[in-house]
Amino acid sequence: MNDALTLDGVSKRYSGHTAVDDLSLAVPRGTIYGILGPNGAGKSTTLRMVMNILARDSGRISLLGADPAADRAVLRRVGFLPEERGVYRKMKVTDVIVFFAELKGVNRKVARARAEQWLERMGLGDWKQAKVETLSKGMQQKVQFIATVVHEPELLILDEPQSGLDPVNQEVLRDTMLGARDQGKTVIFSTHNMEQAEQLCEHVCIIAQGRKVLDGRLRDVRRENMGNRWYVEFDAPSEQAARFMRGETRFGPVAPQGEGWRIDMHDGGDPRALMQALAGLDVPVVRFQREQKSLHEIFIDRVNGAVTPNRRPEVAHV
Amino acid sequence: MSEVMTVFRREFLERVQSKSFLLGTLLFPVFMAAMWIIPARVGAGGGTRHLVVVDQAPAGVGATLVQVLTAPQPGPVDKEAVTFTVERVAAPLEQVKAGLIRRVQQKEIDGYLYLPPDVVQTSKAEYRARNVANFAVLSAVQRATTQSVQAARLQAAGLDASRVAALVKRVEVGTARITDKGEEGGSAASAFILAYVAGFLVYFMILLYGMNVLRSVLEEKTNKISEVIVSSMKASHLMLGKIIGVGAVALLQVAIWGAIIGIAVWRSDTLTKRFGLPAGAMDVVNVPPGTLAAVLGFFILGFLLYSAMYAALGAAVNSEQEAQQFQMLVLVPLLVPVALVFRIVADPLGPVATTLGMIPFTAPVAMAMRLASTPVPPLQIVASLALMTVTVLAVAWIAGKIYRVGILSTGKKPSLAELGRWLRMA
Repeated sequence: MNDALTLDGVSKRYSGHTAVDDLSLAVPRGTIYGILGPNGAGKSTTLRMVMNILARDSGRISLLGADPAADRAVLRRVGFLPEERGVYRKMKVTDVIVFFAELKGVNRKVARARAEQWLERMGLGDWKQAKVETLSKGMQQKVQFIATVVHEPELLILDEPQSGLDPVNQEVLRDTMLGARDQGKTVIFSTHNMEQAEQLCEHVCIIAQGRKVLDGRLRDVRRENMGNRWYVEFDAPSEQAARFMRGETRFGPVAPQGEGWRIDMHDGGDPRALMQALAGLDVPVVRFQREQKSLHEIFIDRVNGAVTPNRRPEVAHV
Repeated sequence: MSEVMTVFRREFLERVQSKSFLLGTLLFPVFMAAMWIIPARVGAGGGTRHLVVVDQAPAGVGATLVQVLTAPQPGPVDKEAVTFTVERVAAPLEQVKAGLIRRVQQKEIDGYLYLPPDVVQTSKAEYRARNVANFAVLSAVQRATTQSVQAARLQAAGLDASRVAALVKRVEVGTARITDKGEEGGSAASAFILAYVAGFLVYFMILLYGMNVLRSVLEEKTNKISEVIVSSMKASHLMLGKIIGVGAVALLQVAIWGAIIGIAVWRSDTLTKRFGLPAGAMDVVNVPPGTLAAVLGFFILGFLLYSAMYAALGAAVNSEQEAQQFQMLVLVPLLVPVALVFRIVADPLGPVATTLGMIPFTAPVAMAMRLASTPVPPLQIVASLALMTVTVLAVAWIAGKIYRVGILSTGKKPSLAELGRWLRMA
């Protein structure tokens, strides 16, 4: 079993709509895995089923080699950060962290020492004995994050971990996620922010309306979704080149981009024909390259209007 | 099960370390003591009062008054009794008034009593003093004035005042409780107060700590802490740890109060003297240990019963506002004995008290009242405790199911039909 988590045909239906529809995915151990999708796509529902907070209607889940619904003990090896945040407001910061560590079976003394280390590391060293309610929201989120990782789980499941964090703390969180990966741990997180996912993930799974749109290694996803977009840059900006590019509409729409031009070539358009046309100009071409699509663009291409907003109903019971 | 201990520890320590616990634990005995001491103090007070009688009344009235006021009390010497020294002035009030007021202000005298010339006809005299709220002083002045005026009237009618007084002497009805040990001291009023305090205390503690459980459940649910916790432990264990954690705080508080009362009873002689209480005022709290154990048993079972319901309620709703709508529903059975306290105490072995004492939802409060006011047949106590135990288990089982589904549910509050579905699901 080399995967930290596998889902096989997992579904969750509520009266009136299907939140997760026949979802299958595999998260390799020791990687950072992003579950991406717009709001209401079923990301949280999926993670909550993995954590056995919700009961799935069908399908199989294997979490660290065990079915979380049958073998709850496996959940203790996981660190889970729910989408909506919160810790005990009246408790002292250290006590909160120690409490959650103890629940996962960590000895109190060990938990105390680890809590201290983490608080120092996250820049909360001066707040160890402060009550949670006196902390800012961002600080409280950090405390909760520490509580999620303090028992040193093999697998971290973070539901929208970046939301509500300022850029500085997003950086801190990113470093921690990368650090966990470097220690051989697996990190699964959900987000609707494709750019963040692009910076962090090695593997992604994009879902929309409860269905998987695509998944796989980010590198492969990019390669497979290259598209036919090209970038041309001339040696120096010239009137002739500009006139040529504006008039050149045979291959597809052209638009200026940075120092050069972007051509969204029609499907089946041959870049060699464009190269030949460029060769006929007096101005030398210094760059002619295929443009990679951003994850966001890939997502838009693949989902392409299939997403209807406000799909999630008001009521959602179990 | 070690997670249960972790939850227990958190619930217990968080509450015990809070300022409100310290305040509540200390303020309650102070409040209770005040309830006991103030009424007793208002009546007593002791000491000697210096009065001036401005005597414009017909001959004899003033002299009799002074005689009655300054006459030594019959019976043994009571240190707490009020005594008087009286100075008689025969001048008209207008001439001496200013001087008297000054003397009161200078604390030379405590006050003055004006007997107008027509006091025998109008039955009206005036008492002016620095403090007119002391019942012992007031009633002594009142009694003496009445007696002296009555004496003058009786004399005018040709009757012997002392004979008339003997004929119309008030009858005092002494009260004492009869318990298994025989006759015990304590008045009807103090027995009622004890029964009321015992019943109300059980009601109040169950309500207070039941609400604590509800709030604790709600906090975890609204902050999604429960989602994290149930990934480490079973929901039923979480509920168990929570309830016994909160319950332990309640018991600790009761134990502290018990210790305070214990010390008070142990040093009751010193205390009654120090605070000027009538002798035996503390006897009423001298409850036999068996009764105490029974009340404690009913309290513990009552707390478990209601806190399980409160836990389920907290899990089913999404906010404290929502909880409030249903809270009354849970509370009604607990309130019934409080509303019927007079019936229960007046006839603690009667049908109303006995029935309420057997219904598990009303038993904790009703039994506390009954046990405090009369020896309840042991069979009834045992039967009621057994019935409660069974009910606690059944309610906890159902509440546990609602709790398990509820703490992880989101969205609007469930309908009854949905609650039924939760029960089947869990």
